[in-house]
Amino acid sequence: MNYLFNHKLKRISGWIFYVSLPVGLYFLLTDKFDELLTIRVFSLFSYETIITTEHTENLIGSSGFRWIENGFLDEILTFVIIVSGLINSFCKEEVEDELIAKMRMESLVLSLYINYGLLLLANFLVYELSYFYVMVFHLFAILLFFNLIFKYRLHKHYNS
Amino acid sequence: MKNNIRLYRVKLNLTQDDLSNRLGVSRQTINSIENNKYYPSLELGLKLARIFDCKVDDLFSLD
Repeated sequence: MNYLFNHKLKRISGWIFYVSLPVGLYFLLTDKFDELLTIRVFSLFSYETIITTEHTENLIGSSGFRWIENGFLDEILTFVIIVSGLINSFCKEEVEDELIAKMRMESLVLSLYINYGLLLLANFLVYELSYFYVMVFHLFAILLFFNLIFKYRLHKHYNS
Repeated sequence: MKNNIRLYRVKLNLTQDDLSNRLGVSRQTINSIENNKYYPSLELGLKLARIFDCKVDDLFSLD
């Protein structure tokens, strides 16, 4: 059992991942998530508080265990990016052998180190609510790093 | 660790592609093994020894 997806899914999931990623980034940076696709959703848990900093005052969260109005686009995009990224990153190669498995494992370790290295760096450089963007970035960063590192190593391998 | 896989393969008149098909690995993996860029698993070593009809010791040795 190697927990990998069928090779046939590789191309289509790659297209979806690399198209939805910039779309998600655009909506995140332009703050348009709440304007589009607003529907009633059940909020299982949330935390409502006012955070006051030197320059800003922000109300975050809403009460949990009740139906709330929510822009659903970010949830859909998060789902699409993570699922397509996972499938694309963990698809079998055409000839899946032990060297490919070793390269996959090494790429995963390297991407984990890079991801947490950046997180530690951001921990001491980004503060207050801006840290929210760091957390959103790290939702997808490890998948992206792994995908890019593994693809680069595969490219080198196939050209050897 | 060094290996004599290229030697045995040429002796049997097999290409890297032929050998990779018989082992169920990619041609690039055979190339990496022959160039000592990758050390195969015990399972692959035993399969190679079976194809070349020799002992694993004949194929691999420590430097």
